[in-house]
Amino acid sequence: MDPERLIEKELARLNAHLPRAQISLAEALRSERPGVETRDGTFHSFGRDELSLLSRLLEEGMWGELRLPIIIWMSRGMGSGAAVIRGKPEVRVISALLGRPAEGSELVIYRPEVAVIRSRLPTTTQYAFTR
Amino acid sequence: MATASELSPTRTELIRLRRREALAKTGHDLLEEKMDALVMELFSVLRRMQELRASAFDQLERAHRALSSCFAAMGTQETVQAARETVKSVELEVSTRNLMGIVLPVIERPSAVRNALGRGYSMHGTSALLDRAALEFEKALELLVPLAVAEAEAFAIAEELESTKRRVNALEYILIPRLREAIKFIMMRLDEIERENFSRLKRIKKIMEEREWTRSA
Amino acid sequence: MRLKVAVIGDRSTVTGMSLAGVQIAHVHSDRESTMDRLRELVSSGDVGLIVITHRVAEELGEELRSLMRSKGVFPVLVRIPDSTGYLPKRDELSERLRRVVGAEIKVTG
Repeated sequence: MDPERLIEKELARLNAHLPRAQISLAEALRSERPGVETRDGTFHSFGRDELSLLSRLLEEGMWGELRLPIIIWMSRGMGSGAAVIRGKPEVRVISALLGRPAEGSELVIYRPEVAVIRSRLPTTTQYAFTR
Repeated sequence: MATASELSPTRTELIRLRRREALAKTGHDLLEEKMDALVMELFSVLRRMQELRASAFDQLERAHRALSSCFAAMGTQETVQAARETVKSVELEVSTRNLMGIVLPVIERPSAVRNALGRGYSMHGTSALLDRAALEFEKALELLVPLAVAEAEAFAIAEELESTKRRVNALEYILIPRLREAIKFIMMRLDEIERENFSRLKRIKKIMEEREWTRSA
Repeated sequence: MRLKVAVIGDRSTVTGMSLAGVQIAHVHSDRESTMDRLRELVSSGDVGLIVITHRVAEELGEELRSLMRSKGVFPVLVRIPDSTGYLPKRDELSERLRRVVGAEIKVTG
């Protein structure tokens, strides 16, 4: 078992679903078939009900800045089960969803909160793993 | 994995092993994070699954009751015949998605509900109870599709969780301890070698000092 | 991709589902012919969902489980109660979840 190859392979598998590029909420709302192309070449669609929820949680002026899918950064060294949301509009929207006051451009969230986010926004959020 | 006796106790080897240990720990932490994420996903899917099961099975119960009424009113044979004549138009739009390395099914919720005229059985000689039964089963089918997807997701995620756990354990209880053992062994040997060298040097120095002393005497 | 739905079970279930527009119907009588039909459906590649009653699934037991393990993502299988409402005490999913999570997770319904 070679740890180096294990890590590289696992990271590739874990992150294969990530998009090649994100699109803004504004773009997604306009689109006939809202979604993004993933690193492994498939098309990942966004649920319309989620887009509508997002548009209710964020003021219209920021729809062009919110990039989808929202990435849930699995954060190492922060203790088990902690994750990070980055970006001002992203933090705004997730805080609103969790009923927390929105502050700044980085938000640390904990396991039960991640479960809530994933339940309400299964196609517009995604996990990302880093070394 | 080389046994202790095969390891060459050199500094290069030590550096190599330390690097492998660090990588193994990184791999271990990464897999633990993955397990965390999988557990969160699993709970989310399970919640959805429970809700869907409850409503789908409720609806099925309703559908079966309606069908029994129909059997009683129209007769079993006639009902079965009507079922044969029904247009079999249910189609599923399917695709797949990828979640942390697992491939999961995606099925769009079908619109199975139709009106009596669209079903295909003759209106003549069939009862309104038949229409009722058909409708209730159509509604049930619409609920069964997302239920099936949720169950498949739960299964696949649980499986991935199991295999990830096994790999975490292999790293934690086999590979990393072995690496630590090997590192300890090498450090010990390097230490010994250094002490031997040190005492050899001391002896040489003593001999040379004695020679100097006798020469100058 | 567009795929079909199949139903396997007792006469009532099959009749009801056919009324709903399910294309492929198999009334269960004996293990062998049902397993044969299932294998056909799985390898056909044009079935997206198989609806099967818990009663029949239980009867098919390990053979069904191993067929499900060997297939790709589709067809997806869902087990349902028949007209008697029969539900087994424990099912495979609950078992697997219990092993993984290390605690009892009740999958009700």
